[in-house]
Amino acid sequence: MTLQGIISTKSGYFYFRGLSPWVHHFCLTFGSNEDSDLTHIFESGLSRWIRCLSKQLVKIQLKGVVVIVGNYGSGKTEVAINLAVYHKRAGIDVRIADLDVVNPYFRTREAKGPLSNLGIDVVLPPKQYLQADLPILSPEVAGSIRQPGELTLLDVGGDDAGATILASLENEFKATSPRVLQVINPLRPFTETHQGCLKVRAAIESASKLTVNGLIGNANLIDDTRLDDIYDGYRFVSELSEHSGLPLELITAGRALLPSLDMDRFACPVLPIDRQLVPPWQKPVEFDQADISG
Amino acid sequence: MGKVLMKGNEAIGEAAIRAGCLNYFAYPITPQSEVAEYLSRRLPEAGGVFLQGESEVAVSYMIFGAAACGERVFTTSSSPGISLMSEGISYITAGQCPAVFVNIMRGGPGLGGILPSQADYMQSVKGGGHGDYKLLVMAPASVQEAVEMMMSAFALAEKYRNPVMILGDGLIGQMMEPVEFPDALKAKPSNKDDWATNGMATRSRNQRNLVKTLYLDPEELNAHNLMLRAKYEQMEKEEVRYEAYNVDEDYKLLIVSYGTMSRVCRTAIDNLKDQGIEIGMIRPQTLFPFPKTAIYDAAGKKSCRAALCVEMCMGQMVEDVERSVSGQRPVHWYGKCGGEVPTPEEVIEEVRKLVK
Repeated sequence: MTLQGIISTKSGYFYFRGLSPWVHHFCLTFGSNEDSDLTHIFESGLSRWIRCLSKQLVKIQLKGVVVIVGNYGSGKTEVAINLAVYHKRAGIDVRIADLDVVNPYFRTREAKGPLSNLGIDVVLPPKQYLQADLPILSPEVAGSIRQPGELTLLDVGGDDAGATILASLENEFKATSPRVLQVINPLRPFTETHQGCLKVRAAIESASKLTVNGLIGNANLIDDTRLDDIYDGYRFVSELSEHSGLPLELITAGRALLPSLDMDRFACPVLPIDRQLVPPWQKPVEFDQADISG
Repeated sequence: MGKVLMKGNEAIGEAAIRAGCLNYFAYPITPQSEVAEYLSRRLPEAGGVFLQGESEVAVSYMIFGAAACGERVFTTSSSPGISLMSEGISYITAGQCPAVFVNIMRGGPGLGGILPSQADYMQSVKGGGHGDYKLLVMAPASVQEAVEMMMSAFALAEKYRNPVMILGDGLIGQMMEPVEFPDALKAKPSNKDDWATNGMATRSRNQRNLVKTLYLDPEELNAHNLMLRAKYEQMEKEEVRYEAYNVDEDYKLLIVSYGTMSRVCRTAIDNLKDQGIEIGMIRPQTLFPFPKTAIYDAAGKKSCRAALCVEMCMGQMVEDVERSVSGQRPVHWYGKCGGEVPTPEEVIEEVRKLVK
């Protein structure tokens, strides 16, 4: 793979870790040394960009069963969809199951088309119940937990009410050890304090009979998100992580904000969000099919 | 306080608290149940009361009772629930009590479906319940506007001693948008002691307040209705609100659309502008009183050939648009029912048929 090839890959963010030493190696291979012009050009022209990408867009590597929980409206579905696409792009087989039985609109099922087109297996309730506000769980879900393949993401409804459905899968979860990640947007009501987040966590754990074992920071105001919202949100979840002992798995940022973000500020990976759940007067960001190598 | 990200339903609940309303009675129904969900947590913190009624009929009379006592009070429901409340709403208007009703509409008739709809236009604007009464009906197009309308609704309800309705489609309740809350409503009802059954502490023994809806004397009932009618005429003079979009251009067609449907139309208008076609829009923010004059003037513009009413129902607003256009131009209709929101592309296709 050429340097050009790597840089031009849209999903290339994920492969840049350790690129700086590679550039160094490239320079040495071509007979340059640390002080040469070529090195200098690389260091000055690309360094900031590469440092930013290599340091920060650290690979997210989720495996097995991953349960996405959180308070109502924390952004679980958008995160789950983008995690599915991210891993698919990295060549991993992904299944995503819509377990949202509390939300009547804006559910994973609305992004079924684009996800299926990318080869992601989308598990939904039976078709005739798709638009119902009934607690219907597809039998496929239990099967997916028993045999999760490389990665099975479960997108669960909000709060303890939404997480209650997980308790009915208690037997299935016994055989696996799921990652249960709590999505937190500190710009949402009830999770603007650490105490609020921990209260949500306790309620979800009690309703789901599962233990939350990681955090996802999802600070955003949708289109009104400013860089400071991401920085402040990161600080908020980092402190919560320290305070609670729960590892901070990743934070998110809308794709448009990524180039302006100072990645040096983050010690965890950043998941780019291509927004899918939009009102009818907006268009979801189209996933680039070419990125999926299969 | 900076911006927060809120669902319309949550923001409506929060706006009520900030408007000084600490009484909320409701019965859950999709797609507005989050209001109750939110207020069941927030109202006790704020020192208020959330009580779930045994039905929407019961709720409407709980509202009547609290309002008659001079308490600021509101409820939320969705289409079938509002149908059940309609009897109580008629009584509250007759008893001249201020209250706020929020209808987050779903598809009908009957149980219909849970997706967005605007099929309760007639019910809200032309009655619903029995007798000669009107509600002041406001239709937000964004979560921010829902907040602002909620906060002004209480003051308007108190000004007219008449219920105000916030009419939103399911999307208004369900979508999340960043919102900022304006300063809390400062105005307290100044005339409460003149009419509310709020105890004798503030008045002498011979000054009893009575809230009633029964008028057996026909002359008295006629006078009562004339007095109500005068209030509705005053609303038509003082409370009309609308937004005009792209009306400075020489548009060939005037769209009339409200709520989230108008945002789809706005995208369509922007896209058509890029294609060299100018379309104007009047978005009623109040459905009663209806922005008749604005629509008359906008449709009468020289370049304008026709009006198009776009709504998520089978054309319930058309007669009001026709009445406003007053025969100057033909009035067409485009819409969908059942939960599918027309896309900007579909609106564009419809517009193209009319302006070709």
